[in-house]
Amino acid sequence: MEYDLQFHYVKQAWPHLMEGLWVTLQLTFAANVIALTLGFGIALLVMSRHWFVRAPFALLIEFFRCTPVLVQVIWFFYCVPILFGVYLDPMPMGILALGLNLACFNAEAYRAAIQAVPREQMDAGVALGFSPVQRVVYIVFPHALRAALPVLITNGITLFQQSALVALVAIGDLMYMGKQVATETYRPIETFTTVALIYFAVSFPVARLAALVERRLDVARV
Amino acid sequence: MYDAKTQPLASLRNIHKAYGNLKVLSGIDLDMSPGERVVVIGPSGGGKSTLLRIMMGLEQITEGSIEFEGQPYITALNGKTRIDANVRKKMGMVFQHYTLFPHLSILNNLMLAAVKTRGMARAEARDKAMQLLARLGLEDKAGAYPSHLSGGQKQRVAIARALMLDPQLMLFDEVTSALDPELVAEVEQVMLELAEQRLPMMIVTHDMWFARNIASRVIFCAGGVVVEDGPPEQVLGDPLNPRTREFIQRVFHIHG
Repeated sequence: MEYDLQFHYVKQAWPHLMEGLWVTLQLTFAANVIALTLGFGIALLVMSRHWFVRAPFALLIEFFRCTPVLVQVIWFFYCVPILFGVYLDPMPMGILALGLNLACFNAEAYRAAIQAVPREQMDAGVALGFSPVQRVVYIVFPHALRAALPVLITNGITLFQQSALVALVAIGDLMYMGKQVATETYRPIETFTTVALIYFAVSFPVARLAALVERRLDVARV
Repeated sequence: MYDAKTQPLASLRNIHKAYGNLKVLSGIDLDMSPGERVVVIGPSGGGKSTLLRIMMGLEQITEGSIEFEGQPYITALNGKTRIDANVRKKMGMVFQHYTLFPHLSILNNLMLAAVKTRGMARAEARDKAMQLLARLGLEDKAGAYPSHLSGGQKQRVAIARALMLDPQLMLFDEVTSALDPELVAEVEQVMLELAEQRLPMMIVTHDMWFARNIASRVIFCAGGVVVEDGPPEQVLGDPLNPRTREFIQRVFHIHG
């Protein structure tokens, strides 16, 4: 290979990349906050006894699960302002698109976990005088969160990686900054390798953490 | 106003319960006075546990009504069961499988319902919980989680959790059935102490020796009806009804 690797360009552009990483992390964090709470709500709604409550949310989940995230991001960015008259800055729009996508995946994880809550736990809740809402808050949610946690963390990391797609709609995330640096320095190999390594450096420890949590919960169960 | 001297604590009238075509209870009538400890015995599938679960408001009924302390508690009307949630709060129940909340410490298991459903102040609930745990010899477990306790300890915590809410009637549904034999005594001991304090109880158990010790009255339930109802000496010792007699002989292994 005749190529002469020159990493000092990347070193010069490092503050830009860190700026991008910061945006990516904010995006990931905000989308996860939305998805962890909204996902639980969607899971409850999709398990409703009434079909007319269940149906629209089942459809919503399937829509987000069966279309590419890239299409979703672009659709939100270009179509939502026109169709619904909602004009948001790129960042909130990105958060909304990714947050809704993640919420639908998390809803599926929560649903499985809610179905696994032992019946006796609900009986005990009734016997202790909890109202239906209190039973959801104090019994179902903690059970479901524990059971779903490994999947929720994995979904969260996946979203961190998929958030690179928002570079396409001009949000200044890590990928976007990487593209700019690569263009300005004519050093795509060094730049994108560095960008990949930064994504890896964040994802890998969190993935290990998820594995650890999963093992811990298996031990703590019974 | 409820008068404990003249009125029954609980009064069940013509309780019917069916799952589809399967009849579980076919007309149970029962008056229980405030000082009584009623032990319900009978073959499995005879409706004992169902009766307790109905008392707790965990099951719908197909027909009948229940009054508690002279107030309407449960009624079946046109296939719908009405349960008065305020009256339900006067019952406490302990289940076969402990049902402690695994994500909460022992102390928080005791405090949660007292604080959230009875509006007790946290400090007050904490004091009461610690007193109850001390009484049951479990004060050093206050910070532990249920998964670190033995079955006997878990069941004692479950009893303490129910006692936190000052129940007027305690329902015990086969609470020692899931325990290793050597852990049964510690749970039964707690129940005997509660009996000494004259706490009204309804107990479903397979342990006939324990039944004889704790009961003030024994009910033999089979085929969804009350077959025999009387003091423990009668029902467990010298039953009048031939079906009861056969059952008692079988469980005590006295053949021929």
